[in-house]
Amino acid sequence: MSANAGLLVGFAFWFLASSWVAAEEAGHRQAKVVEPPIEPATSAAPQSSNPTASQDPPGIGLSLFLSNGCGACHTIRGTEARGTIGPDLSYVGSRSAIGAGVLPNTEEAIARFVARPDLFKPGVKMPAFDMLPQTEIQTIARYLKALQ
Amino acid sequence: MTPGSRTEFGTASSNATAEEDAVRVANQPMMIRVKHVVFGAIGLPVVLLLGAWIGFFNVGASSGHWKVTAWFLQLAMRSAVRTYALAVDAPKTLDRRGLPAAAGHFARGCAICHGAPGELRSPAVLRMLPQPPDLALTVGDWTDAQLFRIVKHGIRFTGMPAWPARDRDDEVWAMVAFLRELPKLNPNEFRALAFNGSDATSSDRQPATPDVLSDCMRCHGGDGEGRGDAVPVLAGQKEAYLLASLQAYAKGDRTSGFMALPVTGVDPADLAALARYFAAQPSVSADRDQVSAEVINKGQQIAEAGIPERNVPACSGCHLGSNKNQVYPRLNGQHAAYLERQLKLFRSEDRGGTPFWHIMATAAQRLTDDDIRAVSAYFSRRAEGPR
Ligand code: HEC
Ligand code: HEC
Ligand code: HEC
Repeated sequence: MSANAGLLVGFAFWFLASSWVAAEEAGHRQAKVVEPPIEPATSAAPQSSNPTASQDPPGIGLSLFLSNGCGACHTIRGTEARGTIGPDLSYVGSRSAIGAGVLPNTEEAIARFVARPDLFKPGVKMPAFDMLPQTEIQTIARYLKALQ
Repeated sequence: MTPGSRTEFGTASSNATAEEDAVRVANQPMMIRVKHVVFGAIGLPVVLLLGAWIGFFNVGASSGHWKVTAWFLQLAMRSAVRTYALAVDAPKTLDRRGLPAAAGHFARGCAICHGAPGELRSPAVLRMLPQPPDLALTVGDWTDAQLFRIVKHGIRFTGMPAWPARDRDDEVWAMVAFLRELPKLNPNEFRALAFNGSDATSSDRQPATPDVLSDCMRCHGGDGEGRGDAVPVLAGQKEAYLLASLQAYAKGDRTSGFMALPVTGVDPADLAALARYFAAQPSVSADRDQVSAEVINKGQQIAEAGIPERNVPACSGCHLGSNKNQVYPRLNGQHAAYLERQLKLFRSEDRGGTPFWHIMATAAQRLTDDDIRAVSAYFSRRAEGPR
């Protein structure tokens, strides 16, 4: 009998503990979800506000854009990017906002959108590219912002 | 209860003592039966538990089961397989394209217990209880669906393991197709199918390749051409993609029972050497099924322009051209059946892979079976461009 009671108490304990852990994890995930794009973006921001800091070799932005397959969905006139599923990005730098109007059109916002578009536009058709190194995402964002 | 009723009851009972006694006597056997049941329900488990605690039951395998235990275990096993197999949807004809891969897996993952044509088993295995049967003699007892059930889920209490990868029913069916073949194979045929003579070629290899390479060759062939349509061509594939894929198998990010065994326990440095070796092999063109020109044209259309009205991106944006990310695989000259399988796995989200896998899953979600057939046929016969 007492063994049974012990089992019961054990179960209750385990249940509480595991739901707590789950909640904890969910919290972490949530926190993680919003975090990463912001951090490195701000650290890189001063660099880009400095006009001489665009040390990217010429064409590196476009070549990253093409090599990672963005051209499969987007068009940039005058390049081999001729996709039609996503919006035409030929002059994206001069738009007033991006991501269906939810983000200001800054280099930093473009970088955040490229990394996790689903955070800003639920049901978005574009996949996340947050597995790319932050520096590459920054370079692509800088290139896109310059397309006026 | 009111006091009135109590007195009434009292008088009634004093009048009827003799009658009651008679009833009690008549009930006697009934009482005994109840006692038995109570004893059985409480006493027997206690006795069994006590027996187990004292160590009365012999768990040694040397003397075998009692006849009755053996009979009962067999009955339970066979009935369970029969019943659970009712839910299995068996294909009318088994797909034989996976035979070489299944044979290769059998040689390493199953023959150790079940033996194989021309292979002697370790005496240690023969003293297992139950002894793993020689499958060449017993597969005839089972239907395809039953074999599927056994190979996928294993058999409890016997040592028969479950398939090493979940959600890879295609691989389990390939193994069932091989088991059907097994009774017909003589030792030479078995060795040809499972080992591809890979033991012999090890001398003319570059010195820098690790020993495990001969294991890979059993399925992928000495020059990475992929034996059978279910095993991918590795020759000329991008090195970064090969390495990232091997790491994904080793970590469990990409599941395949066929690949799980060969990569387990391989040194990470050796994985890099293996990727380098296969990437450096000259690319080969896969054998081609007959496919109508119409289908090929449709495939080309999808590959080069996608299907914009259904949001399918052009495959060429990621898979064609030398300027693409080194983790994005080449598809040119790959076996069509392998490509089809991977696309279906992506579509059902059963194919993980490198950290980039989900962008491919997004692309595959919107493809129909016909699209998949067409685009796979197209890529399989596209000649390799300049590297
Ligand atoms: C560790 C040893 C072991 C390995 C490895 C193993 N099996 Fe088994 N297998 C058994 C044992 C033991 C049984 C017998 C179960 C019984 O008789 O109840 C069995 C039973 C079976 C049966 C049912 C045969 C029959 O007629 O009862 C099939 C089919 C089978 N195994 C296929 C495979 C395949 C395919 C593989 C490789 C993927 C494999 N086994 C790997 C131990 C093993
Ligand atoms: C038992 C057969 C077998 C053996 C042995 C084997 N492979 Fe494989 N390999 C396969 C099959 C089948 C696949 C496709 C698996 C899938 O569906 O994910 C595969 C996939 C791969 C892939 C992914 C290719 C792609 O295009 O995505 C690589 C890389 C690979 N194998 C390398 C190796 C190496 C290296 C070894 C030796 C350590 C090896 N394989 C041993 C059967 C085998
Ligand atoms: C945005 C880039 C992108 C586009 C567009 C794309 N793919 Fe992929 N594809 C990938 C990546 C990345 C992988 C590697 C996934 C992994 O294993 O992690 C891949 C893998 C594959 C594989 C598995 C290859 C193997 O050896 O296992 C097939 C097949 C495939 N793609 C077919 C297609 C087809 C067909 C299309 C067009 C409908 C297409 N892809 C469009 C990025 C893309």
